[in-house]
Amino acid sequence: LNLILSKSLVLLLHPNRHGQVLQGWLGILFCSIHGMLGSVLDCEVGGVHCTMSIEMLLDRAIQHAELIYRISEETRTQFKETFIPLALVTQQGHADHLCTVILPTPSSKSEVGQISDKWLLHSVLILVQFWINHLVDLQASLDHYDNTPQDLLDKTKWVSSKLMSLEKGLLTLIRKMLNENNLPLDNSKSIADHLASPRTMEHVMRDYTMLSCFRKDAHKIETFLKLFKCRQTDWPGCSFY
Amino acid sequence: ATMWTDSVMLAGLTLTAIFVSHTAGVSAPGRPRLTGCRSPEKETFTCWWEPGDDGGLPTTYALYYHLEGSETVYECPDYRTAGKNSCFFSKNNTSLWVNYNISVVATNAMGSSVSEPVDVDVVYIVQPNTPEDVRVLVVDDDPGPYLHVSWEKPLAADTQSGWITLVYQLRVKETSQDTWEEYNAGMQKGYNIFSLLSGREYAVQVRCKPDHGFWSEWTSPAYVQIPDYMLREHSMWIIVAVFAGFLLFVLTWTVNVKRSSVKHCLLPPVPGPKIRGFDPHLLKSGRSEEMFSALVTQHFPPTSSYDDLLVEYLEVYDVEKQELVLGVKNEDPLAPTRTSDNDSGRGSCDSRTLLTERYAEDGDKGGADRQLGQCVAELASPPLEEEKVEAWSTPFSPPPLHLQRQQVGGARAAYHSVLEIPCDSPCAPGSYGHQGESDISKPGGRGASTTLAEPQAQSAEYVEVQTVDHENVLLLRPLADPGGPDVDYAGEDYSKIRDVIPDNVLLLQREPSAWPCAADPGQDRGERSCPTALQELMQPCKPPGPLQQGLRLVANGYVDASAMLC
Repeated sequence: LNLILSKSLVLLLHPNRHGQVLQGWLGILFCSIHGMLGSVLDCEVGGVHCTMSIEMLLDRAIQHAELIYRISEETRTQFKETFIPLALVTQQGHADHLCTVILPTPSSKSEVGQISDKWLLHSVLILVQFWINHLVDLQASLDHYDNTPQDLLDKTKWVSSKLMSLEKGLLTLIRKMLNENNLPLDNSKSIADHLASPRTMEHVMRDYTMLSCFRKDAHKIETFLKLFKCRQTDWPGCSFY
Repeated sequence: ATMWTDSVMLAGLTLTAIFVSHTAGVSAPGRPRLTGCRSPEKETFTCWWEPGDDGGLPTTYALYYHLEGSETVYECPDYRTAGKNSCFFSKNNTSLWVNYNISVVATNAMGSSVSEPVDVDVVYIVQPNTPEDVRVLVVDDDPGPYLHVSWEKPLAADTQSGWITLVYQLRVKETSQDTWEEYNAGMQKGYNIFSLLSGREYAVQVRCKPDHGFWSEWTSPAYVQIPDYMLREHSMWIIVAVFAGFLLFVLTWTVNVKRSSVKHCLLPPVPGPKIRGFDPHLLKSGRSEEMFSALVTQHFPPTSSYDDLLVEYLEVYDVEKQELVLGVKNEDPLAPTRTSDNDSGRGSCDSRTLLTERYAEDGDKGGADRQLGQCVAELASPPLEEEKVEAWSTPFSPPPLHLQRQQVGGARAAYHSVLEIPCDSPCAPGSYGHQGESDISKPGGRGASTTLAEPQAQSAEYVEVQTVDHENVLLLRPLADPGGPDVDYAGEDYSKIRDVIPDNVLLLQREPSAWPCAADPGQDRGERSCPTALQELMQPCKPPGPLQQGLRLVANGYVDASAMLC
């Protein structure tokens, strides 16, 4: 287990193209002895040993989520500008319809208040895992177009890699903070079917819908992680005064 | 009947009314338009619309929506809270990460119309309220005071649970200026502003934005007055500037007072080319005669006494290319080299000018030399040397073919080219006299005519100097006539030229015996020449003793002929 974790640690620590120092730091945590909050976790950055607290790991996860959201938004916009002619834009509203909730997530603040920490983290993890799988499909679909800008493809690949890093960090967090050994949910198949149901749509619109839904879910991920964080620590963003 | 007419009238009026209303343009309402929806705290949201044409009739508006994935249509729960033409969605009616499909319907008596539907996801339309409680404090500090700005989050935003994350921005401007200076404050609720000008009034505003959403409105400006203060560095610089300004003032004043000397020092006047007595303005006026007249000095040829005089310089050219250069060398070492070749005209030219100057300086001092020179010098050059002669004819030099004898007024006293002297008669002593001051003011005044014939090589005649009288007049007689009338001959002795050494010195032969003063024709003819008051030549035929006595060596080794009087 330690070996697996250390390998995933290395995978997490590749630099991201936005050059944010903190982002490049997100490391997977080593299996440490105590899972209490505030305990120090071991990490590794390019072969150099380091230590990290759980708060730091959570911060890194949040920063990952922020970046993923921003890139998902850019990707969606770029896709729209590149592939969707003006005539179809008016139908855009309908595309979002298909982004039905994959799993029941809270839709208001009051509902979120009722969710436990565990469920928050799990929700996030499910979302991340879902999109790791479906972005692969999206990339395959994008490759089929004739004039896909290279930038677009790079972005989707980058997002996929970041999602995988985030997944690993979440797993560690879950383990550390919830003291659970959680296996990833295997809901992908049913979700994919759900999303792929509208066959009347063109490929372009389907991909666009997928990007829209991804953007929405990225926003969810970010919000849930921030909520989780504020529940756990005294973050400046959480301060009341 | 009255009732019937009343009802008829009533019906008629109603119909008229309806008719009138139709002609007035009443119709179904135009399409309303949703202008936007906003959520201040990601928990509720409001949508606004803009009514279209109401068709002239009172129109009602209704907002309907349905959520994505559901077909159930709901109507707006609250039309009032947010004001006119708005719909407010309370917390219970707000779902996040769900698309709302909203449309507005306008209805009036004539019909209804539906607006374009709009899709809204509440998480993307968040625009918070303005920050609260903006306070500005002036804090005194060492280099200068600074502003400390503080504020609170907007009331409704729930940042504590992390539901919303807000970032803040503030801007400052001097009240009299137009441009704002913006600062990003991140998530903090305080900020320090430095480097503000003393004594000015500033306005400060703050706004905020959620991590993904829109900027709020700016708060109303908070005004603050910066107290007066003086930076230490400024005081020092002011003192330095004042001092430098004072120095500069003093310097400028000094330069101004000594304007001319400074100008003289910095821009020394460049001496232009100038010829003494030459007025360039005359050149401009184009009157050459006047210009040249200016060049001609009054007392030219110089009339200094013979004693003071530099000896004149003669060049003698032999017809048959035997050249005899008789020269009275100038004391002035400026005299150029005298060669015995054809080019010696240069020397004579130069010496001529030198002598001229010298004469000009000396003024009227008797012009005996001139006359002598005049007499002798005018030997016409052999034809082949004409050009050369011409070349070194200065303004003062007479045309070489002219005998100087004629040119009493000739300016060229000193120059003589000794050429063959026809000497038919003119060299007769009697024909020369002391001519008095020659008028040198007119360079062109020399006599044009030549009584002497143009010398021919074959017909050249020689004259010999008979004597030099006390006034430095050369008395000549032609050689061809040894027995010629010759009043002055009696008792005169002649010297024979033995040789001419460099520096144009004539070596006289000392022969005490009285021998005919005429040179032996067989001898070197070139050695005899008419010219002038040159010392050694002018020897009357005296025995060496008197010769010696008469001779007086002048400084450069030449014999001064002035003492040689018969």
